[in-house]
Amino acid sequence: MRILLDKFSKSFGDVRVIEDMTLEIKDGEMLALLGPSGCGKSTTLFAICGIHKVTGGRILFGDRDMTGVPSQERNVGVVFQSYALYPHMTVAENIAFPLRIRKLPEAEVKRQMEEMANLVHIEALLDRRPAELSGGQQQRVALARALVRRPNVLLLDEPLANLDAKLRLEMRSEIRRIQLETGITAILVTHDQVEAMSMCDRIAIMNAGEIIQIATPQEMYRNPRTAFVAGFLGNPPIAFIEAEARGGMLAVKDADIRLPMPANATTPPDGTPVIVGIRPENLGRDGDAPIRGRISFVETQGRENLYDLTLANGSVLRSIQRESDDVSLNDEVEWRVRSDQLFLFAQNGERL
Amino acid sequence: MNASRDIARDGSAPLKARAVPARRSFGWLNSSKGLGIVLLTPALMLVVLFFLAPVVLTAVFAFTNMSTATGITGGAYQVSPGTLRVLTDRYGMRELAARLGQPTYIVDEEGLAALEEMGIDPGIIAGLRDEHLGETYSSRREFEREIRDLPDRPSTRTVKQISAEFSRSLANARFGNAGALVAAAEAIDPDLGDAEKEALLDATYTGWTWTTDNFRRLASSPQTTRVLLNTVFFVALTLTLFNTGFAMVLAITTHYIPERPAGIFRIIWFLPRISPAVIYVLLWKWLAWDTGFISAFLDNFGVRPRNWMLGSATNAWVFVILINGFVGASMGMVIFASAIKAIPQSLFHAASVDGAYRWQQVRHIILPHLKWPILFVTCYQTLSLLTAIDHILLSTDGGPGGSTEVWSLWVYHTALNNYAGNLQYGYGAAMALVLVVIGVVLSLIYLRLFNYSALIVKPRIEH
Repeated sequence: MRILLDKFSKSFGDVRVIEDMTLEIKDGEMLALLGPSGCGKSTTLFAICGIHKVTGGRILFGDRDMTGVPSQERNVGVVFQSYALYPHMTVAENIAFPLRIRKLPEAEVKRQMEEMANLVHIEALLDRRPAELSGGQQQRVALARALVRRPNVLLLDEPLANLDAKLRLEMRSEIRRIQLETGITAILVTHDQVEAMSMCDRIAIMNAGEIIQIATPQEMYRNPRTAFVAGFLGNPPIAFIEAEARGGMLAVKDADIRLPMPANATTPPDGTPVIVGIRPENLGRDGDAPIRGRISFVETQGRENLYDLTLANGSVLRSIQRESDDVSLNDEVEWRVRSDQLFLFAQNGERL
Repeated sequence: MNASRDIARDGSAPLKARAVPARRSFGWLNSSKGLGIVLLTPALMLVVLFFLAPVVLTAVFAFTNMSTATGITGGAYQVSPGTLRVLTDRYGMRELAARLGQPTYIVDEEGLAALEEMGIDPGIIAGLRDEHLGETYSSRREFEREIRDLPDRPSTRTVKQISAEFSRSLANARFGNAGALVAAAEAIDPDLGDAEKEALLDATYTGWTWTTDNFRRLASSPQTTRVLLNTVFFVALTLTLFNTGFAMVLAITTHYIPERPAGIFRIIWFLPRISPAVIYVLLWKWLAWDTGFISAFLDNFGVRPRNWMLGSATNAWVFVILINGFVGASMGMVIFASAIKAIPQSLFHAASVDGAYRWQQVRHIILPHLKWPILFVTCYQTLSLLTAIDHILLSTDGGPGGSTEVWSLWVYHTALNNYAGNLQYGYGAAMALVLVVIGVVLSLIYLRLFNYSALIVKPRIEH
């Protein structure tokens, strides 16, 4: 079902968390609300499921205005960060709870509950209590409970935050599989860009109660609208250096480095201070613009090495390269940048 | 590095030298055992003084027949028509009682010596000794006839004096110890058997004795059943209606209203507990008196003023349960409210989006989480209500006509304060002991129920 937030605002007392936010989630789509903590992404989620009352604007499910409808009648499935399983009920009772509350016939409750348990692969655990389950199993139960009533939308609030690294990888693909299998519209709230990029069709990146950019993960990575977006996506993260437009070139501040203007950027007038963003994979042995610096840090990651390159002016660039032995700490090197992959931002963070 | 280590070593040396003697004398304070005993001492003293000693004394008194009549020190042996009746009725010794009760005259050396003291004519004394020594007369007339027949022929006045001296009746005699009584009785009836002596001593003793009669009396008294039913009725109703029921309503409603009004609400419901019992009950009395608020208010509608609290047994119960319930509800409220607060907020959110409205949340989320608090409050309040006395004493004092007399109040009335004035310490102690036994048994069951030993098990973290 299509979800539309129309000029949605939410404030707690005098604190305005979100103002005039408009966001559309298409039917069957999985959208990530990505942002740092305190940016209002969870608030948005709680407003959609009706736990928070909105201060202004409308929330539409399909064509139906849900703004004033209590959460009990919105038919949303929520997976909470802590899973919020009912500790006094067994797995089976937890999953069946939304159906029993709706007073469905017991045979029907049992059938749907078992069907959902099969979908999330917890058939063998139905008689256990939540305390007797591992984190990943609890996650699956929470997912089953959220999906069992066939909700209009599935809301996931940092669902992987409480899992260890290996389980996180596993559940990431599991959640995506289940979402695709059921074809449900889903919203994932996360602060982890890897989760957002790997699981979702589109990402809405938020900061301070505003959506900065909505795009597919690939588009957003390749073409970030602001320095914030560029900085948020990518691991290891992008590095920024201060520069100045000078004669169609970019002169790095306090250093004898000149970079060509990226082809897709609008050339700013001479003397304009700008910020140049260079992703680690675009700095290395290949490229067209040389950069000199000293290797100040080497981190071995197995297949690749991550280097910190300190420039003459003290700024630090990152480079990720295939593992090799020919450079070591404190070496002076001259590496190259692929100038077509540079991002150019204005002083206020806007992409040029 | 080395230098600083040396300095540290040097610096610590004098410290150590000073610490050693202190360690020797107070070293035991550093062990958890030694310090534990020191810290526990005041608590142990209080437990012994205010719990163990009263319980032990109660148990001791329960096996006596102490009362105002017997006193709590020793007693004497008093022969009275009453004790003779006891001898007849309880021991079936009608003959003995008749013999002891009759005036009896025995001519013995003791009497003769007394006559000499009084300055009676030695001739008369000699005549009595020669002719009648050792004889016994059961009637005054017969004895006096014999005296008159003596060779000296004493005057009538002297005859009376003489006969009085030989009167050996036990009726209304008082003896300081058992030996004196037995000697006197044997003087009347030398063939007194051991059983008869025993019975006589028992029947005439005015002090307290060891006995198990209190429990027999308690078991057979119809009042026991009545008071017991009153107590069960009082505890059950107050507990279910107020201490858990109403407390739960308060806790749940304050959970769903905003923080500040909820706090004010809770404080108001705490007032009965923190106000002094006398003032609190006095307010209730003002409410219920025939010149009180209820009467004054209903007067406007033509209802005759009357004492609403003591007007009928039903009214009295209503007031007793309200008065105790409003005090008791606050504890349950606090415990339930904090237990509800401990439920993660996300569970309520989850229940809301799962479609559960508030009353369904109460039923499916809150109540299952309150299982243990409810059990705890029930157990704790059962014990506290079983021994509750102050509010009932101050409000109805068991009235009207003993209809609100509960066990603890009955103990108080029997042993410490009653209208008849005969305070039966022993009987009251026996009643109290029953209460103590019930309380201890219930406590043990509860501790078992709550798995107390698991609660106080040593932590597995190293200490």
